[in-house]
Amino acid sequence: MAMEKHEIVIAGRGGQGILLAGYILGKALVDAGYYVVNSEEYSAETRGGDSKSELVVTKGEEPDIIKVRKADLAIFMYTDQMKKYSKLVGDSATVFLDSTFIESKPEGWSNVIMVPFTEIAEHEVGNIRTANMVILGMFASKVGMVSLDLLEKSMSSVTRPTWIEVNKKALQKGYSLKV
Amino acid sequence: MRQEFLNSNQAVAEGAMSAGLNVYIGYPITPSSDLFEYLSEKLPERGGVVFQAEDEIATINALVGASLSGARTMTATSGPGFSLMAEGVGFAAMVEAPLLIVNVMRTGPSTGIATQIGQGDIIQSRWSSHGPYNLVVYAPASAQEAFDYTVRAFNAAYIVRTPAVLLSDAVLAHTRERVTVRESHEVEIVDRKKPAEPPSEYKPYRSDSSDMVPSFAYYGEGYHPIAESLSHDERGYYKTDPRIYRNLVERLVHKVERNKAKLVESRSYYTDDADIVFVAIGSMARSVLALVRDLRADGVKAGLFRPISVWPFDDESFVSSISGAKSIVVVELNQGQLYEIVKSVLWERGIKDMSLHKLDMILPELPGPDEILEEINSRGWRLW
Amino acid sequence: MVVVAQKPLHPLDEYLRTDRLPHIWCPGCGLGMILQAFLWSVKELYERGKIDPDKVVFVTGIGCTGRASGFVNFDSAHTPHGRAIAFATGVKLANPKLIPVVFSGDGDIAGIGGNHLLHAARRNFDVLVIMANNMTYALTGGQLAPTTPFTVYSTTTPKGNPDQPLDATKMVYALKPNYVARLSITHPTLIRESIKKALLKRGFRWIEVLSTCSEIFGRHINFRDPYELYERLKKVVKFRRPQSIDDIKYDWDNEITCGTFIDKDDPGWMETYMKMYGLEDKLGGL
Repeated sequence: MAMEKHEIVIAGRGGQGILLAGYILGKALVDAGYYVVNSEEYSAETRGGDSKSELVVTKGEEPDIIKVRKADLAIFMYTDQMKKYSKLVGDSATVFLDSTFIESKPEGWSNVIMVPFTEIAEHEVGNIRTANMVILGMFASKVGMVSLDLLEKSMSSVTRPTWIEVNKKALQKGYSLKV
Repeated sequence: MRQEFLNSNQAVAEGAMSAGLNVYIGYPITPSSDLFEYLSEKLPERGGVVFQAEDEIATINALVGASLSGARTMTATSGPGFSLMAEGVGFAAMVEAPLLIVNVMRTGPSTGIATQIGQGDIIQSRWSSHGPYNLVVYAPASAQEAFDYTVRAFNAAYIVRTPAVLLSDAVLAHTRERVTVRESHEVEIVDRKKPAEPPSEYKPYRSDSSDMVPSFAYYGEGYHPIAESLSHDERGYYKTDPRIYRNLVERLVHKVERNKAKLVESRSYYTDDADIVFVAIGSMARSVLALVRDLRADGVKAGLFRPISVWPFDDESFVSSISGAKSIVVVELNQGQLYEIVKSVLWERGIKDMSLHKLDMILPELPGPDEILEEINSRGWRLW
Repeated sequence: MVVVAQKPLHPLDEYLRTDRLPHIWCPGCGLGMILQAFLWSVKELYERGKIDPDKVVFVTGIGCTGRASGFVNFDSAHTPHGRAIAFATGVKLANPKLIPVVFSGDGDIAGIGGNHLLHAARRNFDVLVIMANNMTYALTGGQLAPTTPFTVYSTTTPKGNPDQPLDATKMVYALKPNYVARLSITHPTLIRESIKKALLKRGFRWIEVLSTCSEIFGRHINFRDPYELYERLKKVVKFRRPQSIDDIKYDWDNEITCGTFIDKDDPGWMETYMKMYGLEDKLGGL
């Protein structure tokens, strides 16, 4: 059986909800029947430093490695971290960029989706801190590895109760976004 | 039994609770603090106590007091904290207090880089304190192993009545994977060896059995044991007599070796026909395994030997994994600490017909298989 | 085998490992009086049905005082230098029914172990600490202690102590644990009464006992006879109720204030924690 394998990088500034997005996506992928290795890196500062979540996702056989070698899926929410970690992303990868903070896409990537996720979170969902969930919603609709249902279930199991409703709204918003 | 999506810090905490942990004592330090936080919520729900001490020196000494009073007890720390505990590790070894220290290795020396991985505490994990003694050290390489070897390390501590160390690292600590969590009734739990004699005849440091381990009376049971940090006889009475010192300390040193069969653990991958055998532990072993698979795909007969018990070292399995190999490459994030262990095993076994290479990668991050290959190529070794 | 005399020669023999006697303490040393006061207290409380000696865990650190753990017939520990309070904390955490008692010297408790003292006191953690203060590192030959009086000779300060000494009782007083007292071997009955009271209390209990080291400290300050040092200590000890924290004196030339400075009954750390987490059924009688 040919092994299905994906490598995902999610990166941005500390405080953008990068690690939470990775956790929720990873947990949903486990429920969808994948093996998932989800590693996190962060700087000592809670706000403003580098924040990166990586997922090595396979079906059929457990992954050996922990760290991404060449990502086929990527989400970047801030320019500095996109530049810093772009070497981890393959040229043909599907890359989601938050155009609220990232003005232009770098050369080389052929499959880039640029959406002002943070603006959408602020003005259409009503909470600027749900940008990470808007992205995950769109990830589900464009990539298709995981359903909106499983993302909602995963999100509800790991976020505080007061955040569940607004996060759901953000996931649904992202899922229905057209590019 | 239940399936969870946990990082290794959480898996250690779950493993410890299943192994019967009832007193956790700690001092926060990155990258181990979230393990402490996790237990702070979960352990009291199971009737256990969590205590934040004023520093790691207090932590280790309180662990010894708790252990001798009948608690199954542990702490988690990282390099700087582990260094502070050194004196107390020797005390625990001297008074034969079973307890578990989880060292989530980070970049050193000194404060280093708090959030980043290192593997520089391998030698320290065995002999951090002054004086001759031995203990048991396990190094897991996944969240599931973090769970499994926490249970195992607790058992090892009670099998030999010694501190046990679980060597995790900053990458494992914050990497989530699927973990099968087994409850207390689903795991093997080794308990203390209770004294068979009445209190009037009890000697806390006498071992009549071949395992060299004395029976263990807790405080409060009427046996009046003395935990004596000075050299002592079987009653725990301070003695400077060289014969008595030797009896005691030889037992402390040799009891781990004596019980080795119950303690050692390792895994070999693709070593049956390997020309080149890599040796690595922890998260580094995951990158090396990926490299071995790449090399195999290119027709290079590579294999991996992964010690899980760093001490005692599983030299039997190691020797059989390298039979037929031409070269050994030890890969680690330090100046060659695991290399020193491997070198001494080869010397003791009189194995001279192969080349031994030290791939000492002094990096504050986990290299992937491509970076390890690049490093090997840069050294100019002709391995394949 | 533990040798126990068939017929006790002394009423406290049952609380001693008589096969380890004679003890190491010099003639004129005050430590035996403090230990005796402790043993009498346990004996009396046991006979009155107030305490089970098998639940007492006797913890010492390093130094002359530290050797007491080898002489007493309790569960005991002779811990590394300075770590007695930390060890005792673990004992209580593991089994709230046990009664950890720390019995150690000033160098051990207030010097190298000072941080543990500070935090155990501010937590009102359930442990009784008896600190024998002989103002020197006696076992090792008279080096400077944190309690050595200003300008007094020690082997590591041959021209006199340039440090201001630490008044450990004053420090503990500032942290407001349940019980704080300073006593002196020149008034032995008071030591016994104080220990009896403190043994039955919860929370952190502190008893400093001023003691005489005539062989080292006394000799170094030119007292040829142990009695001279005893008289000198007796002269400086003043029992009185201080008006404020600043009124607690630790001045070798004028006054070392003694007495019971705090005696209250707040819940200790164990009780507070266990109630917070619904674990009160695991608490013992004390």
